[in-house]
Amino acid sequence: MTIAIEAQQLGKAYHVQGMAPPTLFGTCSRWLKRQPREQFWALRDVNFQIPAGRTVGVIGPNGSGKSSMLGLIAGTITPTTGALRTEGRISSLLELGAGFHPDLTGRENVFLNAAILGMPREFVRQRFDHIVDFAGLREFIDMPVKHYSSGMYVRLGFSVAIEMNPDILLVDEVLAVGDMAFQMKCLDRIRQFQKQGKTLLFVTHALETVEQFCDEVMLIHDGRLIMQGPPTDVIFNYLKSYMVRLGMLNVEEHGTRDVEMLGVRFLDEHNDETASFDTGGAMIIEIHYKAHKRIENPVFGFNIKTGNGFYVFGSNTQLGNVPIDSIEGEGFMRLKIQPLTLKKGNFFLSLSIHSWDHSVQYHRREDWHPFAIKDTSDTPGLMQLEHTWEHQADLDG
Amino acid sequence: MNIIETIQTYRELIWNLVARDLKGRYKGSVLGFLWTILTPLFMAIIYIFFLRLIAGRGVPIQNEDIIIGVFAWQFTVQCVSTGTSCISGSANLVKKVYFPRILMPLSITLSALINFLLMLVVQFIIVAVLLFREGGMLDLWTIAVPVIVLYHFLFNFSLVMLVSAANVYFRDTQHVVNLFLSAWFFMSPVMYTFALVQTMTADLPRLQQLYLLNPLAVIISGYRSLQLPGAEFPWSNAALLGWLWPAGLLIIAYMIFQRAQRNFSDML
Repeated sequence: MTIAIEAQQLGKAYHVQGMAPPTLFGTCSRWLKRQPREQFWALRDVNFQIPAGRTVGVIGPNGSGKSSMLGLIAGTITPTTGALRTEGRISSLLELGAGFHPDLTGRENVFLNAAILGMPREFVRQRFDHIVDFAGLREFIDMPVKHYSSGMYVRLGFSVAIEMNPDILLVDEVLAVGDMAFQMKCLDRIRQFQKQGKTLLFVTHALETVEQFCDEVMLIHDGRLIMQGPPTDVIFNYLKSYMVRLGMLNVEEHGTRDVEMLGVRFLDEHNDETASFDTGGAMIIEIHYKAHKRIENPVFGFNIKTGNGFYVFGSNTQLGNVPIDSIEGEGFMRLKIQPLTLKKGNFFLSLSIHSWDHSVQYHRREDWHPFAIKDTSDTPGLMQLEHTWEHQADLDG
Repeated sequence: MNIIETIQTYRELIWNLVARDLKGRYKGSVLGFLWTILTPLFMAIIYIFFLRLIAGRGVPIQNEDIIIGVFAWQFTVQCVSTGTSCISGSANLVKKVYFPRILMPLSITLSALINFLLMLVVQFIIVAVLLFREGGMLDLWTIAVPVIVLYHFLFNFSLVMLVSAANVYFRDTQHVVNLFLSAWFFMSPVMYTFALVQTMTADLPRLQQLYLLNPLAVIISGYRSLQLPGAEFPWSNAALLGWLWPAGLLIIAYMIFQRAQRNFSDML
């Protein structure tokens, strides 16, 4: 298999400068004072290989070096250390409407933008109507783009950009443009690229999109490549180690702490600790609690939400008719979900311990525990629904 | 990839960038292209008026000399002043899209060249009319003017490469450039001729030779001697050197630019 992009010991350092743009005066005075220039490593010791035809997502917190990496691959940034090899023609959706001149009309800017992106003029002439229709800007095409709304501007830029026919396409967070209908068109176009066997590199914060489109995901943090692997695993790792630990998710924990959850473990059907489960298998959640005083009739509850906050299911021991007389001291509560009908994705588990009449929350952890589901079947959707088919031909025919 | 290959590969983009620059410059202005001619024309009229009024007596200068000088000077000014920010002003483009950066100073200089060629047509007409009133006509050598234009273009291109790259690294370059341009104006034979320098430096031949090392001194004198009958080019070793060293400047400017462009997206 050919390698489309290969990075070896890739690193990029920036000189840290003050707030103001660099000036001759500033440089001279710094030179006279012999101040050393500080360096900031945006990317360091990055090694990876991307085979041709793959769709790879790049995720990581803000400022982790994702955009620097795309810049390096696109060739707009020169690496400080290491080497980058690419095979084939690269185009990037890093800047929509690159080089648009506000005083020129949409039509003139289409040709200008296309030339900057390296498209032959003749090709653009042939595709011109298609570009304009894709952007949905037919009646505005002869108007200077300074009168466009920001959405129209970006739509026109995107419509030109996707006419490119590169071997490698770099996409940086640009799918978040336009209204729903336009986004759908964009995603369709991305799928077409995939079908044509192009190599795609995505930078985005939309984890759902990454999961949906990518064969592989790279996690970057503090300029280092932390992990590269299947989307579900990497995204799960990202959510767990970065978002939860660094407090980037909207997780909360509250309660009187008369009863406290000391630990929560995720187990599979063989009682092995895991963080990712198979559709159709079993999921066991073991809560290690400690009641600091005697609590009468406590209720244990849980709920599950998807990565983007959709409430999937919730229940508790009260609704499940499993009343508990009282608890005191330490103990374990085991919740078993079987069969697990959730399908591929990342989910969050919330747990709570409260009083029978819901008046006192002893301990509640909201969206605290992420877990991932792996799915081997081909059926799409959020949940596995048990179903059977029955077919009857028209006998009287 | 060397510069010739780059130009061939990217000729469509170069043309588009030149067109963008030219169209952008005249869109929305009532007089449009006329401004390109009116600016040097008004400048020439002002100089002629004041030179006649104040210093006029005894100074061997013709109106044609000033017209030719101001139009040629405008070519360099236009290149340098628009070229200074041609990279720092397009930060988004430089950071996000890859194409050889040399195309940016090249397209700016090319669009100024196209402007200048149109200006030249007007200049020929004005000079021809002025000469006709005095009973003369344009020198036959006028047909050789394109050679100097080409040379002038390459010299301007070197300057644009230098100032555009410098302005990325030091944003106060544009102030320095403006100061430099005003000094350079007086050090070049724009509103006077080399003959004046010769009279003033009659007893300082060294200074006279030094003066000719200024490429614009030889370029403007060159334009005059080709177009005006009776205007002699002040040939000397220094003048020859004045013609030759910009060739080295072109190569050095190109090398400096190519080195500097690696860090453009970091500095913007």
